[in-house]
Amino acid sequence: MTGTGPGDIIVATPGILPLVLLILAMAGALLVVGRRRAAAKRSGHSPEQNWSVPVVDGASQGQSLFHRWDARFKLVSLLGLAFFIVATRSLTAGLLALGLAAAALAAARIPWRRALRRLLAMTGFLAMFVVILPLTAVVQPGDTLLVFPEIARLPFNLRGLELALSICARALAVALLMEPLLATAPLSTTLEGLTRLGVPAKVGQMILLAHRYIFVFLEETRRMSTGMNVRGFRKRTHLETLRVMGNFLGMLFIRSLERTHRVFDAMQARGYEGEFPGHGQFQAAPADWLKGLFFIALGIALLVLDRLWLP
Amino acid sequence: MHQTHRLPPMPLSGDTLFDIRELNFRYPNGRQALQDISLCIRPGDRIALVGQNGSGKSTLVRHLNGLLGVQRGRLSYKGLPLRDQHLRRARLEIGLLFQDPDDQLFCHSLYEDVAFGPLNQGVPTEQVAPLVREALGQVGLAQLLYKSSHHLSYGQKKRAALATLLAMNPEVLILDEPTANLDSAQENILIDLLRDYSGTLICITHDLLFAYELCRRAVVLDRGRIHHDFSMRELVSHRPSLREHGLDFSFRLHAPLATAATLPAAPGAAEIPAPPAPQPPPATALDSPALVELRDYHFAYPDGTRALNGINFRLKAGESVAVVGENGAGKTTLLSCLMGIRQGRGRHLFGGRALDRKRRRELWRRVGMVFQDPADQLFCASCADEVAFGPRQMGLDQNEVARRVTAALRRVRLDGYEERVPLHLSGGERKRLAIATVLSMEPEILILDEPTAGLDPQGEELLVEILRELPQTRILVTHDPYLVGQLTQRTLVMHQGRILQDYATAEFLADQNHKSLNALALTYKAACSREIRELQHQHEHSHPHRHLHEHPHRHGDLVHSHPHEHEHEHAHGYTHVHQAHSEEHCHPPQPRYHDHAHQDHEQEPHEHEHGEDTPPRTQVQ
Repeated sequence: MTGTGPGDIIVATPGILPLVLLILAMAGALLVVGRRRAAAKRSGHSPEQNWSVPVVDGASQGQSLFHRWDARFKLVSLLGLAFFIVATRSLTAGLLALGLAAAALAAARIPWRRALRRLLAMTGFLAMFVVILPLTAVVQPGDTLLVFPEIARLPFNLRGLELALSICARALAVALLMEPLLATAPLSTTLEGLTRLGVPAKVGQMILLAHRYIFVFLEETRRMSTGMNVRGFRKRTHLETLRVMGNFLGMLFIRSLERTHRVFDAMQARGYEGEFPGHGQFQAAPADWLKGLFFIALGIALLVLDRLWLP
Repeated sequence: MHQTHRLPPMPLSGDTLFDIRELNFRYPNGRQALQDISLCIRPGDRIALVGQNGSGKSTLVRHLNGLLGVQRGRLSYKGLPLRDQHLRRARLEIGLLFQDPDDQLFCHSLYEDVAFGPLNQGVPTEQVAPLVREALGQVGLAQLLYKSSHHLSYGQKKRAALATLLAMNPEVLILDEPTANLDSAQENILIDLLRDYSGTLICITHDLLFAYELCRRAVVLDRGRIHHDFSMRELVSHRPSLREHGLDFSFRLHAPLATAATLPAAPGAAEIPAPPAPQPPPATALDSPALVELRDYHFAYPDGTRALNGINFRLKAGESVAVVGENGAGKTTLLSCLMGIRQGRGRHLFGGRALDRKRRRELWRRVGMVFQDPADQLFCASCADEVAFGPRQMGLDQNEVARRVTAALRRVRLDGYEERVPLHLSGGERKRLAIATVLSMEPEILILDEPTAGLDPQGEELLVEILRELPQTRILVTHDPYLVGQLTQRTLVMHQGRILQDYATAEFLADQNHKSLNALALTYKAACSREIRELQHQHEHSHPHRHLHEHPHRHGDLVHSHPHEHEHEHAHGYTHVHQAHSEEHCHPPQPRYHDHAHQDHEQEPHEHEHGEDTPPRTQVQ
């Protein structure tokens, strides 16, 4: 490589780009193989388990400061903190936020595997930023450009890379923060807290029912899709596939609509009159206030640090 | 029972809980679902609401808790019409168990689902927890209090759905097909729970043995009308009525489970023809190499659940094999692997050759599968398109596709249905159509997953007849020992992903009777079958007996007509039990009001009393 300082143009040695791409591809393949092997080795003892279901509040049975925290305060303060994190600009602040979120996750005693799986789901989307932004950022005076001879017409802007990494860090921090926010209480309690904060009850009910029935609909979709595959259907790029998929989606819609009616009937039959009965005992304790103020203060401090001191 | 502070039950005026008069209901698409329904339900009644698919049973029970409004006629609960505040209160004491438990478990955890009803009844939050524990304890799910319902097995969901109602302590319990898709162990649990229920029970079911065990009264619906309202014993013993309404399940009474006791033949007895035994496999099949074979086969789901553990299985051409076992035993996973839908670890051979990736992808051409729920494989706009779908995917020419469509529809007795919309067919027709969609591909192996689930007895009988005629090598997954006996010669018993037993079906059924092996022991059904066979032992004779009947009759100069009771001697076909080889017998309760000719009876003096409670008289002259 040639050139070292800011504002320079660094020309990479030929062959570096293919090598980097190869390493990335191998790392991806290793990750996939590793996950498959881990899944195969895992032993399940309960015959009830049928298929992998990502449950939002999978760690709700626990004992930590987040589990004991009133859902209303948790919602306001952690969403507030997330807002402050998103408002930061620098990569350093983003990394600090990521550290804070990781610390919160550890304090909530949520299994890392669960959180990492969730982050993994975002990686494809975030990787797109890391690739696209450096290649498309408008070159400004003082920008350092990295030029690969293989794609010399598309210089790699390091400011763009920093911007992409900063976005990724903030996105990952907020995603991690959702774990202590949503996983440490039953979803219904969290949504009830949301209603107590003034969000219309219907919104909470819709989220709750969507979370419950998304799995049922997914299972129906899988069964119908299998029903087509065992009769030889394979998706191809022709009109027949479009016609069959149209039938498939239409039938799925009809089944979903019928189920919606039946569920509503079942709710009415047990006395539903527009509101889910409340379960949560919401009583604000001084500790709830203190925890809330602590996280809000943390967010403000992060923002001030970012705006006044960090580059 | 814990002391709880829920709304007290509404007071009952009179002795009628539901009073239905000339109830009519028409769906928006114009289908008349109920016509002139008049029915009186008293507290403590245990009613089986029976009839063929589409006879209006579900529509009627949806009226009983106000899910459907009265269009024409009258319906009252505890003396008042079901509307406004009275409807809201009534719903809190009328429990309705839906057929699909996923419809009923709409909350985030079992606790919330079971607490939903009591909280709506006004039970204070702090009193709900013990109620929930008690209700879940009753159905044996106390350990799953905070589980989400999508983590439960089907049988557990069904019991959890019942717990959501039991926690409300309902005065009326309405059950819509409570045993559909349950294995025998779960069915036994359910029947034990319902036997102890002391309120009014209304049960929609096609399983008349289950209904016979639980209910005392039978209401038969046919095309939206009530055709019979009499005792359960009368219904099951009167084969012409059963046959008339497509409910004759007598073919089941010869199932091996019901053969523990036989009746002495009586003169003139209406004997049930014994069904043909399943054909043994062709002699060549016994020596032929395996058509499909699994060796030391394992399968684990991505979440780690080990569904198959060391399966060794050989299936020869022409064989018919049943796979039985409790819910979650691994039966459906085994089928998926045989179909190539799932791939496990171990050797999978087809036609003596190991399956590689390419051959597995082509397995669908040789193995056909009929799913438990026909809705999972019906998605086309017409029956002809549906049946033609598979052959078209095989790349056959139009003439061959048309030939196969016609042949497959004829085979399942759906000739003339080519242009009908699958979505509009009845349950039994949809099931037969699903079979036709597979038969049109002319597979070598036919896999059937619970083929008779949700069918009425007539549909069930027809389907068994059709399946018995099919020449294909068959694998049948079922919880129903009757089907096993009728359609297979060999049985695999699965438990926790392993094959526990692999023996002749006759041995399996013998095992059923004597050892209650696995989860298929339905001792109550065997007892019911015996009892019903005895009831169906029927012949005609005459001796004096009392009638309540209505016809014009004379009191001196007065001629009038009203229901009145007195004794006659004339012949009747009675359903009754004889003490062994003795003339002594007793009659079960008969309908005491019936219409028949009595020679010159109208002219005889009628000296019966006309008390205050005599029905209004009709002056004839």
